[in-house]
Order: sequence, then C-alpha cells, then structure tokens
Amino acid sequence: MVALDLAQNTLDGLMVGSSYALLAIGFTLIFGVMRRLNLAYGPTIMAGVYLGTAAFISLGAPILVVLAIVILGASLVGLYVERLCFRPFGEGARTASMVASFALWMQIEEAAMHLLPRHMNPFPALVASAPLEIGPLMLRADHLVMLAATLLIAGAATYLLARTKLGLAIRAVIDQPRAAAIVGIDVERVMMLTFVLASAIGGIAGFLIAATDAQVTAMIGMWATTKGLVAMMLGGLGSVKGAIAGGLLLGVLEAHAQWFLGPQVRDMVAWGLLFVLLAFWPGGLMGAKALDRTMAVGRRV
Amino acid sequence: MDGFLITVLSNIGMISFVALSAYILLLSGQISFGQQAYFGIGAYVAGIATVMWSWPLAAALVLGAFVAGAAAGLVGLVTLRLSGIYFAMATLAFAEIMRIAAELFVYRREIGGIETGPDGIDGFRDIRYLFANDISPFQSCLIVYALLVAVLATLFIVERTRGGRMLRQVGEDPLLAEVNGIDVMRVRIAAALSAGAVAGLGGGLYAHLLTYVEPRSFDIMLGVHALAYGLIGGLGTALGPLLGVLIDIGLLESTRVFRGYRMIVFGGLVAVLLIVRPRGLLDEVAISRIRQALRRWRHAGD
Repeated sequence: MVALDLAQNTLDGLMVGSSYALLAIGFTLIFGVMRRLNLAYGPTIMAGVYLGTAAFISLGAPILVVLAIVILGASLVGLYVERLCFRPFGEGARTASMVASFALWMQIEEAAMHLLPRHMNPFPALVASAPLEIGPLMLRADHLVMLAATLLIAGAATYLLARTKLGLAIRAVIDQPRAAAIVGIDVERVMMLTFVLASAIGGIAGFLIAATDAQVTAMIGMWATTKGLVAMMLGGLGSVKGAIAGGLLLGVLEAHAQWFLGPQVRDMVAWGLLFVLLAFWPGGLMGAKALDRTMAVGRRV
Repeated sequence: MDGFLITVLSNIGMISFVALSAYILLLSGQISFGQQAYFGIGAYVAGIATVMWSWPLAAALVLGAFVAGAAAGLVGLVTLRLSGIYFAMATLAFAEIMRIAAELFVYRREIGGIETGPDGIDGFRDIRYLFANDISPFQSCLIVYALLVAVLATLFIVERTRGGRMLRQVGEDPLLAEVNGIDVMRVRIAAALSAGAVAGLGGGLYAHLLTYVEPRSFDIMLGVHALAYGLIGGLGTALGPLLGVLIDIGLLESTRVFRGYRMIVFGGLVAVLLIVRPRGLLDEVAISRIRQALRRWRHAGD
C-alpha cells in the first residue's frame, strides 16, 4: 500500500502547497521591487484574517463579506508596513527595513491579540461537502478550490506582469530602479502598488487557509512568514514560476515527511532542505541568477 | 536588592550575550537570524555537563561556549560565502533545525536516584547546580555580569587591534577589503566562531540560572530580537546592543506601565527610531563625536 500512500500524500501535499505558493508569490513580488525582506508579511495576513474573523464572530458576516474584509484589511495593514518600514529608507538601509518590519510584526501581532484574545477562533468554512473519491484516492473539495484559486491568481499575476503597463513598470523597477526613474516611472508609486497587491494576495492566501481549517489560530502570522519565506527561497528569488514550484515542492515534501516520520520531522525536513539548497545551490530551483548578478552590480555602483 | 530586580538584571545580562553575538556578525557585514541556535547548544551542553557528568560550573560553561563556537565555525564554513538574505535564511534554517532536534533529543539517566536529563519537547529540567552549591541569585547575577564585562573588555580590546579594523572593513566593503589583501573568508569565519562562543556562554548561564531550558527558549523570536537590539542600540560600539537590551527588557518588559501593550509600544518605537537613526542610537558618528568631546574635555583639564 506504500504506492497508494505516496500518491495520496503527493496529492495532499500539492493542495497544501498551493497555499504556500500564494504566500511565496506575495513575498517574491515585494522582494523583487524592494530588494528587502518584509518580515511583517505574515502578520499583515494575520491582521486581515483576524479582522474577517471578528466580523464573522460578532456580526455573523457571510463568507464573501469576510473575504472582502480580509483582503481590504491585509492591504491596508500592508500599506502601513510600507509607509513605516520601507518608504522612509533608501535601498542602502536593507537591515533597517528588515528590523523595522520585524518590530511591526510584534506590534501587529499584539494588536491582533487584543482584538481576539483566544488562541483559536472559528472561521467560516469554505465548502462543507464530503471529500471526492477518485478511485482509491480522497480529495477534499476545499483543497480543490484552493488549488484553483492559486492557479488563477498566479495566472493573473503573470498576466499583470507580462502584459499591462503597470506590469511593465514593475518589471522595470525590479530590473533597474534608477533607469526606471529616469524614463519617468514613479518608482515610489510602483513600489507602493506592488506592496499593496502582494498584501492582498497574502490576504487571499490567509483566507483560503483559515477557511479550509474552519478556524484560525494565533500562530498564523509566524506560520505565513516562515512558510512563505521557505517556499520563496526554495523556488529562488524573484520569479512567480519559482514561487509556485517552491510552494508545491514544500507542500509535497512536508506531506510525505509528516506521513512517514511525524510532524516534528516534517518541519525539520523543510528547513533542512532549505539549508542544503542555500549552502550548495544558492540559486534555488528556478533561481533568477541574472537578478542576483544585477543586484551585485547595483551594490557596487 | 529585592528578588525581582535581581531577576530582571540577570535577564538583561544573559540576553546581552546573544545581542553581542548578533552584533559581532553585523560588524562583519552579515545578518544572522540564527544566533539563538548557539545559545541553545551552549545551554544544553553546559547543562548536561553539570547534571549528567557532575562537572564544575566553570568547566561546563567553557565546554558549552566551545561546542557552540565550533558548531558556528562549521556552519560558517558552508554558509559564509552567502550574503544578505541568503545568509540570513541559512542561519535561520540551521537554528530551526537545531530547535526541532532539541524537541527530539532525549538523553535520560539516573543521577542520585532520580531520572534526569533532556526530555524532548519538555526540555531539560532540574539543572540544580547553583541551588545545590548554595549560590544565591545575587551571586549568580554577579557571575553573569563578571563574564559579560570580560566579553565586553575582550571586544573593546579586539576593536582597537588590526583584527578589529579588518572586521569593520570586511563589514563595510568586502570587495575593497579583499583588494587590500584581507582574507575576507577567514575574518568572517573567525567572527562567526567567536559570535557562536559568546552566544553559547550566555546559553550556559541561562540554563543554570533558570534551572531549565526547553526548545522554545531559543526559537526565532530570540534570534530576531537579538539582531534588533544591536540595531536599536547602535552599531558604533559594543555598548550599543546592551543599550538595546536595556531599553527592551529593562524599560518595557519589567515596568508594568505598558502591560499588554508592550509590543505595540516597542514595535512602533523601533520602527520610528530606525527612520531617524538607521544604524541605531550609538552609531559610528555618535561614537566619534563622543570620543572627540571626551578628548576636548581631557585637554581642557590639562
């Protein structure tokens, strides 16, 4: 029955991995334009999800309203993080931005705990139907929704980056911020829009995760930051495709490790893989080596 | 002195070791999210040495620092050619691996009729060396500060030597340092090694003063806090990270004014502070101004 277990685990892993992929896309977008790490990304998502949950608990808001609140909340908090941690610093003060975002992580998490003090809170469930059976394999309907949403958002993000004027501006800023400014792109505005966009994508990811579990715990902020970071690093920085590959790989790997070795080893496997990849193959799966090289040049000039 | 004050002072002292550890790496131009790993290694090794092998405290602390430093050096060998976010992530990955390894680590033996030792996720309890040897909290606080002053003095002396200047130069511009004939990799590994040993020393003290250590004691929060302390306090002097610890633990955690809102205040404070002073309160400029003022004052006295 090992083959069946393997197949079932892989399937489950792909589904969970799709949420990691969404988180990684958001991280990658922010890292791409800012070249700085936003540690407050997970807590931003947490803030949105907590606002949605609060509306659900106290007002009995229907699920679509909750989704809207989550996205809006995450975007607004994302804007706050951008204003306080990224806008005031030049690219030179990378560490300062990162530490400031960590400071806001602490702040947002404590504020969220004041909003909903309990460790675990109910969240509206996505689909309450019985799992589908495909031959001997089981498939949860809400997991399918999650996968579909991921593919949809990834497609939309790719379209936005490749085909629209804003996407062109974003890519220009990612490639050469100074040159982008010279040709008349409002770099600060592009950065802000990307930041808000990434926060909104994170909000959707947080919503899907909470809705699949039908609950949300105080760990979601930390969870989203670490999973998103690992998935992004596995895929290599700065590419949407890499983020998806990294997220799915992480999901599958964790599912197998959990099944065969237990939940503690599961987490260790993800970190272990990341460590080995970084130490011996720092470009990641689909690493944007070119991006790295331009960054090195940018630092020197 | 009352017990509460002694506890707060001891905490400030012990956390300062991790803050100094992150600071040493910051000087070499590397951001580490993972110095808590060496804190944890030091805590477990030193605890095992006194409890399971009945070593004296001093030897146990030295062993803890030594093992932590060696581990940091080995990790440094494979990670130090990375930079920026890659290095930060690699150190975080290693620290999380160590934390989970501690959750799985069980090493129980009967000592004096009672089974004791690290017990997986429940951590390592009953590290009763200080208690068994009648060392009071005040005396252990003194031990912490004596060691902290020793580490600080070493750092101050090293900063004035060629090695210290090399360290700062590598941190500011590794390429230029390389051109100047500095072996960047060697300087970085030396920095990582000593940073690991300093954190390990703090961990050994922590395990004995609190009488227990658990995997949760050295999670990512400790590591990122340690990093933040240096950046708030300032990167111009080894006193900077200490100032950071003092502001956070001394002012916010221990006074009850901000109870329940500590992180909201601290978080906002740090974010705004970093906008005004991206390299912390005691940055290089502030330090050189203070030095100049001191010199002028001394000359005025002549």
